[in-house]
Amino acid sequence: MTLEHLPSAAPSLARLVQELNKLPGIGPKSAQRLAYFIIRLPDEEAFDLANAINAVKQSIMFCGQCQNLTDLSPCSVCSNSQRNREQICVVEEPLDVLALERTHCYRGLYHVLHGVLSPLNGIGPEQLKLRELFARLSDGEAKELVIATNPTLEGEATAMYISRNLVGTDVKVTHLARGLPVGGSLEYTDELTLSRAFQGRQALE
Amino acid sequence: MPPPRMYRAEALVLKNMPLGEADLLVTLFSREAGKLRAIAKGARRSNAKLVGHLEPLTLTRLSLSRGHTLDVISQAETLENFTPLKSSLTAIARGMQVSELVDGFGSEASANEPLYDLAWSTLESIGKTPEYELPLFHFQLHLLGVSGLMPELSNCVECRRDIEPDRHRYSIDGGGVFCPDCTPDRAGLRPLSLRALKVMRLLARSDARALPTLNLDAALTQELRAVLSGTVQYWLDREIRTNSFMNQLARTERVGRN
Repeated sequence: MTLEHLPSAAPSLARLVQELNKLPGIGPKSAQRLAYFIIRLPDEEAFDLANAINAVKQSIMFCGQCQNLTDLSPCSVCSNSQRNREQICVVEEPLDVLALERTHCYRGLYHVLHGVLSPLNGIGPEQLKLRELFARLSDGEAKELVIATNPTLEGEATAMYISRNLVGTDVKVTHLARGLPVGGSLEYTDELTLSRAFQGRQALE
Repeated sequence: MPPPRMYRAEALVLKNMPLGEADLLVTLFSREAGKLRAIAKGARRSNAKLVGHLEPLTLTRLSLSRGHTLDVISQAETLENFTPLKSSLTAIARGMQVSELVDGFGSEASANEPLYDLAWSTLESIGKTPEYELPLFHFQLHLLGVSGLMPELSNCVECRRDIEPDRHRYSIDGGGVFCPDCTPDRAGLRPLSLRALKVMRLLARSDARALPTLNLDAALTQELRAVLSGTVQYWLDREIRTNSFMNQLARTERVGRN
């Protein structure tokens, strides 16, 4: 029996458990543990957590240009005059922007789709931030669109959709190289990845 | 004697979804045991050895170990990747419909080798002719067949007499064609053009790997789509999600240029 069903549990505690239980990957038992952890936290830390949740819900919005999550629109990347405005890198999720920024090798702008085409889940082009992407490209400033969707079937389908819709425009569409991960092993690599790695081979300099 | 802890299976990957930090929950349709759900531990890490073999619409040979609730995939090797199919967005959408319907009609822990072979041959056929909808129509009709639900296309469902050309009607829930003399007031009877009936009869006799070359015009394609999808959806008892995806795809294409 979970805490919220116990008649002895205080209603406010039961409510906290119930709310924590809604988080992804958190079952009833984990929700109970987290609730007791929060109760035992010093008041200051518990209120900091509550305030952080409150603040993020009140201030986070979509950037009007790249659709990334931001508390200021346009976001810090879009408003940075040092960034190359001729390149736009399309990613699936906001976390992908962070991953690419950690590489320090890309200085262009981003566009976050907030998902990928997923036929089995009924997610089509209208559910993604694609209309915003095409509207953004129509001003002619961007010369290259770097598609950085994941190399999954759904990611590839999304890349194909974008590319198909830009045929005949002046925008050059590229996608990230597919191939072997650093530290990987040829022996265990699947045929498709190996063939893509072969296709994308480069001259040693 | 309990079943062995380790076993092997040849399976089509129907779908996968993230599980926990780095695992994948994979839904498979195997030749040996029908539908299976298994975990691929750590498969979402960039240097994982399994993930490339577990993409949807991949035919793989697997080694699995039995778990308490779900089996665990320990090895995977790609048998067929259906690369031509994966090079076209339309073909991917149709392939995903095959996956969705095998998932919907296949039973867990119950082998259905004809369905397995049908899915395999259909994916090959879609890859060969990505812009051609006939392989999907063939699949939908034969999916009903291997599930024991093949609509009657030659004799009246009610009186069993041969159907006279152009004097027939079709009923999704009635199980096929009716002659005009039988149950004329039956609800759900719909017209079915002679052309569509002939195509369905031809598809019922055809093999997925040797489909006839037919030039279907837009009206006939639309009619076959409505009848076959409608019949499959009736037995599936829920909306075919990939259909709404394909409709949306057709509607939004070229939005970038407009």
